[in-house]
Amino acid sequence: MKKTVDVSLPIGPLHPCFKEPARIRCETKGERVISAEMDLGYVKKGIERIMRGRPWQEVMFLAERICGICSVIHNMVCIETLEKISDIEVPERAAYLRVIVNELDRIQSHILANFSYCYTIEHETLGMYLLNLRETAMDMLELITGARVTCAYMVPGGVRFDLRDEDRPTLEAALDHVEHELRRYVGMFEHGPLVAQRSKGVGIISREDVIEAHGVGPVARASGIPESDRRCEHPTYQKLGFTPLSYEDGDNYARVMLRFDEVFQSIDLIRRCLANMVPGPIRGGGTIQAGEATHAGEAPRGELTYYVKTDEYGRIVDIAVRTPSIMNIESCAHYMLEGVSSAADVTSTFISADPCIACTER
Amino acid sequence: MATSLSYYLREMARGEWLRNFLFVKTAPYETPPHFRDYPRLTGKECTHCLACMMICPTPGAIEVLKEDEGWNPVIYPGHCIRCGLCVEACPEGVLMSGRILESQFFENTGYTWTFHLTVDSTLCMRCGNCSVACPVNKEEDPQLAATGTGENDEVIMRVKGGELRILHEEKCTGCKTCEEACPNSAIRVARVIEAIHTAEEGG
Amino acid sequence: MSFLQSIKNTVRSKSIHVSYVNVGSCNGCDIEVLAMLAPRYDIEQYGIYVHNNPREADVLLVTGAFTPQWEDKLKSIWDKIPEPKVAIAIGNCPISGCVFNRRGAYVDPPVAKHIPIAAEVPGCPPRPTEILNAVLSLAPLVFKDYEEKQS
Repeated sequence: MKKTVDVSLPIGPLHPCFKEPARIRCETKGERVISAEMDLGYVKKGIERIMRGRPWQEVMFLAERICGICSVIHNMVCIETLEKISDIEVPERAAYLRVIVNELDRIQSHILANFSYCYTIEHETLGMYLLNLRETAMDMLELITGARVTCAYMVPGGVRFDLRDEDRPTLEAALDHVEHELRRYVGMFEHGPLVAQRSKGVGIISREDVIEAHGVGPVARASGIPESDRRCEHPTYQKLGFTPLSYEDGDNYARVMLRFDEVFQSIDLIRRCLANMVPGPIRGGGTIQAGEATHAGEAPRGELTYYVKTDEYGRIVDIAVRTPSIMNIESCAHYMLEGVSSAADVTSTFISADPCIACTER
Repeated sequence: MATSLSYYLREMARGEWLRNFLFVKTAPYETPPHFRDYPRLTGKECTHCLACMMICPTPGAIEVLKEDEGWNPVIYPGHCIRCGLCVEACPEGVLMSGRILESQFFENTGYTWTFHLTVDSTLCMRCGNCSVACPVNKEEDPQLAATGTGENDEVIMRVKGGELRILHEEKCTGCKTCEEACPNSAIRVARVIEAIHTAEEGG
Repeated sequence: MSFLQSIKNTVRSKSIHVSYVNVGSCNGCDIEVLAMLAPRYDIEQYGIYVHNNPREADVLLVTGAFTPQWEDKLKSIWDKIPEPKVAIAIGNCPISGCVFNRRGAYVDPPVAKHIPIAAEVPGCPPRPTEILNAVLSLAPLVFKDYEEKQS
């Protein structure tokens, strides 16, 4: 029988490109990748197991520590699920503040993902520009919530801190700064000849394959499935007139450009929130009742679903979390990496799907 | 080509440029005042209500210890996650961190809480560890805390008639000591916390 | 102190190579280590290079609460780092297990049980400036007169 596989190439678990431990096993022929498999399980902590029997004020912090990059959305979806169980209404100002913090978190997460991509394709200058720009978004998160990464901002029935009137000009100026600078960097990315050669037509995943692999988030939207965005179903986003974006190509370039476009969209959403916001209470009160509910929200990486069951004192009896990265890793390993023409493109394709291993394994 | 090269050479040969290149460091970035750092004491008197220990989401991060005369909360860095809930929960304003205390005062936000004790009788082995460890029991019945047996019915919970009975649920301060003392996770304190906002009314 | 040793001291305090390993963290501390690369903090002006390769590292930053899967692997990473070396625990997780240190979680903190930890930076997560200060103040101290201390 003719031998078709030359080398089984392992990448990871510790690799300079990866922020977290994960292992890709690539079956290669020459330098062409024939198939790839992911090895996971290095950071499994059993968070859902220790969440059981605990009240919301502890589960909220555990949920936030499922993922350090998109901590705000974990907090938001967890709290919104509990609110759905116990029919708690959120005051209007608090709902807008939640959207502002969530979109700031999305800005920093998307910029970080694109920094990782630029770093992986060795365009370090653009990567550093983006990383410095991300600090502006982090500063704004810190200004509103008081912490950089794990904000712990949302509580059942509202938010913890108000946006002060004297801080509004700072926030608006920061948004202008991010928008202005990012236009330059997007220009650099679009017109850089080497960037395009490394990105266009690499790691293509078609619309049918995304549906087959259950890809979500930027991976699905870059392949022409705009309706995969869960923000369409959120009442506050509907009030703001949110329409999802999409690209058709489904390659690395489309995914990175989609993230850039979503950053601009997020800036626009924050501006609309600031315009619509009226003074009012930021907490509505309300205790958690018994019941169960499933709720989904849009994390920077895709759809995030929480299933929660509570007892009569508001303690969590059962909880299940489905994070977006596992589907994106699947679609990356089985569809994008297939037929990638060199080992250098394996890491960049993997990073362009923006996998979050801490989310996946919890 | 040649002009730009000579431009760079001339630029880099300047003393000022060389000095900047070799010795100047960017100023260290300072922590902004609105950052929620580890809670610090404001100097107000602690009343030993244990609200901070009750609301703390991390094991072993805060303890209220007796120093000479009064009680004082102690924060352990390495355990504390700087969430700032203890600052918000404290009714006396003993702790401060970043802008939390200030904004809480202006926005009239706070928490109210009630506690419920539940015992899983299939897991409970009637060892009585919880009733000995409970700080409220210690004040109500020192004999129970010292010897492990007591006849006082004013305590929160006690092993009575071969079964752990909750006698006075309303005295519970939600400090989680019984949960930690229980070898079998049978007793659980349900801390029902409500985030409230009393706008435009009080001061 | 010999002349050679003083040269080594100067060079070692001006060029610190950093590698980081995630043994079960939530990513937050890793992101703050990455944010340390940003031009705002500019760690390379102090001669610190983050390139995540244990074989050329001087400083190992450990993040995470030590999941059982790392039992043998962390030790082998630590053995791969050439002497003189130092390990710093970043964040609460390697120090105490943070919120994960509860009955039923698959974690085994502290990391100091498994490899020698020279310094700890508390915080969940620590700010980039705190990590930077820890690396800058600790590394020259440990590497100073290394050969003379050995003999």
